[in-house]
Amino acid sequence: MAAEPVSFVLVGSAALWLRGEQVPVGDADVVIEPGEANLRRLHEAMTALAIRPETVPAVHRLRDLTVATALTSYGRLDCLLERGRRDWGQLRQGAGYVAVADAPVLVASADDAWALRRRFKK
Amino acid sequence: MGQRSGVGLVELAILENLDARRAWPGWRPARCLKVLAALEDDLGLARGYAYQVLIDMALPWKLRVPLVEGQGNFGGRGNDPPASPSYTEARLSPAGQIALAAERGQIAPVPIGLINGNTHRQGTRPPFRPAAVIDAIRQVLARPRLPAGQITDLVGPPDFITGCAVTGDLAALAAGQRTELGLQARVTVTDAAHVSARVAKAAVPGHRPRGITRDPGRPVIIVDNFPPYANPDDIAMSISKRGQEYAWHARHPELSALTGLPIKEVMDLTSRGDYWFTCLPANGTDPELLRDQLLKVHGVTIYVSVGLPRPLPAMIRTWTRTYQHEDVQASLSALENALASRQQ
Repeated sequence: MAAEPVSFVLVGSAALWLRGEQVPVGDADVVIEPGEANLRRLHEAMTALAIRPETVPAVHRLRDLTVATALTSYGRLDCLLERGRRDWGQLRQGAGYVAVADAPVLVASADDAWALRRRFKK
Repeated sequence: MGQRSGVGLVELAILENLDARRAWPGWRPARCLKVLAALEDDLGLARGYAYQVLIDMALPWKLRVPLVEGQGNFGGRGNDPPASPSYTEARLSPAGQIALAAERGQIAPVPIGLINGNTHRQGTRPPFRPAAVIDAIRQVLARPRLPAGQITDLVGPPDFITGCAVTGDLAALAAGQRTELGLQARVTVTDAAHVSARVAKAAVPGHRPRGITRDPGRPVIIVDNFPPYANPDDIAMSISKRGQEYAWHARHPELSALTGLPIKEVMDLTSRGDYWFTCLPANGTDPELLRDQLLKVHGVTIYVSVGLPRPLPAMIRTWTRTYQHEDVQASLSALENALASRQQ
């Protein structure tokens, strides 16, 4: 996902891990920037990453879905679309780039990542 | 959950229905469709849901102690789904019959729930080795003050039936804490001659299997003993995908080196229920290095969240203390016999 031209902010356990927190990483949660062009890029990226590309929702479905999930060879990828429609501006503001090998990844601030985690992971 | 067997309530309803139809071990099995229709009429259990549970109860790679014997296509571990319930049949397994007898109070309780766990249905309780659990209960019955550490040692680590390796904080699990276990397929570096011998051994008589490579000494990596809840077809697809070239590899060579797999070919050699495939390393690749990379592929290693309601020794002790006035030894022997009859 880091290498694909999709605009997203990494949140969840993977974001916290990249921020130096000691948390087990079970999957990758990414908040997607709203917008038609980005959704098209997301669809292409998910299709390339998914083990079963036929299960990736079509672009017109991505406009309405709250979360789109793909099972990849790296594990489960959850694309938080509704969260992007609601909180993109705020999350983007607090986020910063972290290098994963030679690919820069936009990662939510630890405060934002913890806040989302507390809200949705009881 | 049935208190005297630890078997789930839906599972018990299915066992009751099979018993009512006289679908006993060695007897004529009942058509699954009829069982599901009756469960829907009597209990309001939707057929699709009940069928999933029924199938799980019969699958030998999911449960240490299968409660049902299935006949017909109950599906494979890959992408092949089970046949419609119109075409499948089921009957009680010997262990299923014992679970039912324990629930009815005809025999003393049996620890089937503790042995099977419920991680096969995304629960948090892992399975344990049947003989080890039975032995631990017997020891505690004989010596009620057996130290907790010894009980934990007797039961041993969680044991998943496919033979996958289990990693993680086993002490935390035994102490009743929530933790995460890694379930890892076996990834072995060997040579083409060894693979050819295994293929020939499993081949149908009269059928000549094709060779892996012309060079019998060429290093080959075998992947088998998959985690029980991973789909081998998906794992093969995952590995193939990681071996492909993508446009972004040129833009991010470091990331590409980190995530790509130098594989020439992946071959699915699954035969007669033995799920395994081979990876041929690309020329010039260190097979040991590739082995380590393969272990990081999702599916080759999966993580399951596990936890026990109480520390394991306390669970064993409570179980034995609760039922010590009954003839637990006899019911444990009956369960052992049922398991032995299945292995024959």
